[in-house]
Amino acid sequence: MKSLELVNIRKEYGDAVAVDDMNMTIRKGELVSLLGPSGCGKTTTLRMVAGFVAPSAGSVLIDGRDVTHRPPYERNTALVFQSYALFPHMSVAQNVAFGLEMRRMPRAEREAKSLEALRRVRLDHLAERYPRQLSGGQQQRVALARGLVLNPDVFLLDEPLSNLDAKLRAEVRSEIRGLQQALELTTLMVTHDQEEALTMSDGLVLMAGGRVRQSGSAQDLYERPADAFVADFVGRSNVLEGRVEGGSFRMKDGTALPGTAVPTARYYTLRPEKIALTSPDQGVPGTLREVLYLGAQTEYTVLLGTTPVTVIRATPGPDDTLARLRPGDPVGLRWNSADARLLDS
Amino acid sequence: MTKLSRRQFLATTSAAGASALLASPALAQSKELVVGTWGGTFGDLLKANVDEALLVPQGYDVLQEISGPVPRRTKLITERMQRRGSMDAALLADFDMHAAARVGALETLDAGNVPNYDTILPFLKKKTSVPLIYSAHVIVYRKDLVKTPPTSVQALWDPAYKGKIGLSDFLYTSNMAYAAVANGGTVDNYANAEKGVEGWKALEAKLLPSTEAVGQALASGDIWLTIISAARGYSWQKSGIDLAWCVPEEGAFPAVYEAGVPKNARHPEAGLAYMNALLTPDAQVAFAEKMGYLPTVKSAKISPELEARIGFSEAEQNRLWTPDLDFIMENQAGLLDTWNRILKG
Amino acid sequence: MAKLVLPAGLLVLALLGVPMLLMLRYSFNSFDPLYLMKEAFTFGNYARAVVDPYYQKILLTTVAVALASTLLTTLLAYGPAYWLARMEGRWKSKLTILTMFPLLVGGVVRSAGYMALLSSDGLINATLRGLGLITVPLQLLYTPGAVVFATVGIVLPYMILTLASVIESIPRQVEDAAANLGARPGTAFIRVLMPLSLPGVLAGSTLVFILCMNAYATPLLLGGPQFQMMAPAVYDQFARASNWPFGAALAFLLLVVTVALTTLGSSVIARRYKAG
Repeated sequence: MKSLELVNIRKEYGDAVAVDDMNMTIRKGELVSLLGPSGCGKTTTLRMVAGFVAPSAGSVLIDGRDVTHRPPYERNTALVFQSYALFPHMSVAQNVAFGLEMRRMPRAEREAKSLEALRRVRLDHLAERYPRQLSGGQQQRVALARGLVLNPDVFLLDEPLSNLDAKLRAEVRSEIRGLQQALELTTLMVTHDQEEALTMSDGLVLMAGGRVRQSGSAQDLYERPADAFVADFVGRSNVLEGRVEGGSFRMKDGTALPGTAVPTARYYTLRPEKIALTSPDQGVPGTLREVLYLGAQTEYTVLLGTTPVTVIRATPGPDDTLARLRPGDPVGLRWNSADARLLDS
Repeated sequence: MTKLSRRQFLATTSAAGASALLASPALAQSKELVVGTWGGTFGDLLKANVDEALLVPQGYDVLQEISGPVPRRTKLITERMQRRGSMDAALLADFDMHAAARVGALETLDAGNVPNYDTILPFLKKKTSVPLIYSAHVIVYRKDLVKTPPTSVQALWDPAYKGKIGLSDFLYTSNMAYAAVANGGTVDNYANAEKGVEGWKALEAKLLPSTEAVGQALASGDIWLTIISAARGYSWQKSGIDLAWCVPEEGAFPAVYEAGVPKNARHPEAGLAYMNALLTPDAQVAFAEKMGYLPTVKSAKISPELEARIGFSEAEQNRLWTPDLDFIMENQAGLLDTWNRILKG
Repeated sequence: MAKLVLPAGLLVLALLGVPMLLMLRYSFNSFDPLYLMKEAFTFGNYARAVVDPYYQKILLTTVAVALASTLLTTLLAYGPAYWLARMEGRWKSKLTILTMFPLLVGGVVRSAGYMALLSSDGLINATLRGLGLITVPLQLLYTPGAVVFATVGIVLPYMILTLASVIESIPRQVEDAAANLGARPGTAFIRVLMPLSLPGVLAGSTLVFILCMNAYATPLLLGGPQFQMMAPAVYDQFARASNWPFGAALAFLLLVVTVALTTLGSSVIARRYKAG
């Protein structure tokens, strides 16, 4: 059963098109991330699902029902705001019970349910506190509990981790994913953070300029980017411009790269971790320009002709020949030509 | 009678005389002349016919300090113990001027220091002030609406005029004098004035907040008759309202406006020059022509036509009351209280 | 810094405090028709102000008009304040300035404007007569209604601006959250927006109530001579009766009642909302 469906959704503000003919489906119990740079239309899309923004055209279907023209309070969605938007004048328990109260659930029942929801996020001991007495992470969990206690048709997360510090982020990430899977919540998450999107989602929708650039699984987007923008946005990529000439790809500076069978291409994309660093005679020759030590990994910048190419390798041991490389040294780059993606746009 | 202590006195004057500081700069020039007066038409007439016509040619620099009569009287009384007062000449109604005279705040005037003093009509002569203009608070009525011309003060309590009697809130002293006389009292004791005011209340007399409001009410027919100065009756008549006025057989309340020189004036000679100028025939005639007030000096001659419209016959003149100004001064607060209680309570 | 703050503080204290203390002292003096007052220490002025039914009625009228005006102002101001607070872009600042605009004109001038609107040949009566709805002009001026109407008009900008600044500080997302959780607009207003804007309502209504209690020009010009409120009564004592001690006592009575009512009002409202 399809749980959330957006059909040819479009939103215009005056002359500006915020979302352009968008189609998307989330199956029941799945978490799909809307990913894209700021201003790409992902938040507008989320707000259209919640009912805060009326689409200029197209429809929003929840469980097959058309809710396009329903006000927010008549849609059974639960939105966790980026700022959490807890009610500062209500206790944690009152915040969580608010939605149930709006659904006219008897007091005893809603108190029991809110406490259960708070237990799920391990905050039942803070039920009588007020939001201002909680840490950022705790407030985030109250916001989650306030949404999931409603057993919503669609769970909506707006940049849920952006207000948390790096350490807490990983913890909350797995907590959200755990809850979402345990409760089988159909979830739409908006994020600009590709790592968040890659690690938490069943599916990804990458947007730019109000349009969907590519949708699919994390692997689809990472391994098989539809265009140079996707390749660059999802994970890191060397996007090298040039054209196909006589069976090989020639970059703008003239350097030829091992070819593939495609007849035309504008971009040659290659993930940094797919490239091996060898001696100059064993691969495409270049010059090492910079070595960046990142701990477990080391990042090398190599000039092929005049074009910089990034290579990421596991940091070599002290006896390894790679450990002796210095900027200015001649090196060779080698990769499996199947790992390179030649793209027209 | 206990006088104010010196400390008390200084505190009082510092509050009352804040504007005096502004009105009398420290670097006063010898020809400066500060006149405490009313503003509006009255102030403008003074400026044109006294200040600019008579005193500026003599080299005086006349400064009008405009305020209400009670604050001006208060200032005269409270400033009298200071070395220097804020005014060189002060204008007030006779009963207010009387209070200032009683506390010894005013310079004695005679032909020696005011050359025109001897031209003053005998019944208006006073030791410490000169009369500027006079008229009387008479019954002014709409000729077209009041069918039988009133001859007695009793007309003001005629049930036929229920709801059509107007009373100026400002003229409570005169109004209550009428009320006393109509009920067997006199202007010396105001006995039974209360009864008369209650009679007005019963007849739904209209209380009007300003002289202008009285004029408007007469013009619109909201009221048919009122007690106001004959001078006003004349000027409204000129503006086209069908009015007449009468001095009742029982008499009428005199309206005398006077000027005096504070003993502690900064420029007493300037104040005296001002007194003399006020008594000049030209100035007197100007007030008669513009405002309908009668000259206070024998030497001022107005045209017979004007005299017929604003003047009093000898019989009328003789009927004008001579109120006990001491009694009024002592009881004014009480009279106002009674007035307010009955008509506003 | 302290060197700068101290003289300024003393100046403010002198400007505000000294005249007040002086008036307080006067209120215990006794009246003298000739010398204005006699130094004394009597509670007579206060006793008269409190016991006299005439002044009781004036005080009661004042409180009633102030309460009615404050309530009406709050009700009328909330909508525009919300609208202004949630507005975006260049119109917002323009409308804020427009709201402040009436404050540039004094209360006396604006009261005079209301006179022109309400008098028997004023705009309202002329319009109604022009439309043939009435033949005899309605008595609008010199009524308690006219005083409340004009007072509300005069204090409305203070209330709108106070409320707007508080509503602006309430994140819009909190309102969205209420709607998202199933609250209809009315419920969201009562359960979320209203309690959160309560500090603004309290601040605004306290300010407005004080302004109304001390209104001078409006009751004088629009209530007519028969309509009595405290500030004109105080002025009457100073400027017409020359009775400074009693005028000062009336002024302090007004002050005490105003302070007592605003304190009581804010604590009651605050408690009620905390309990709810």
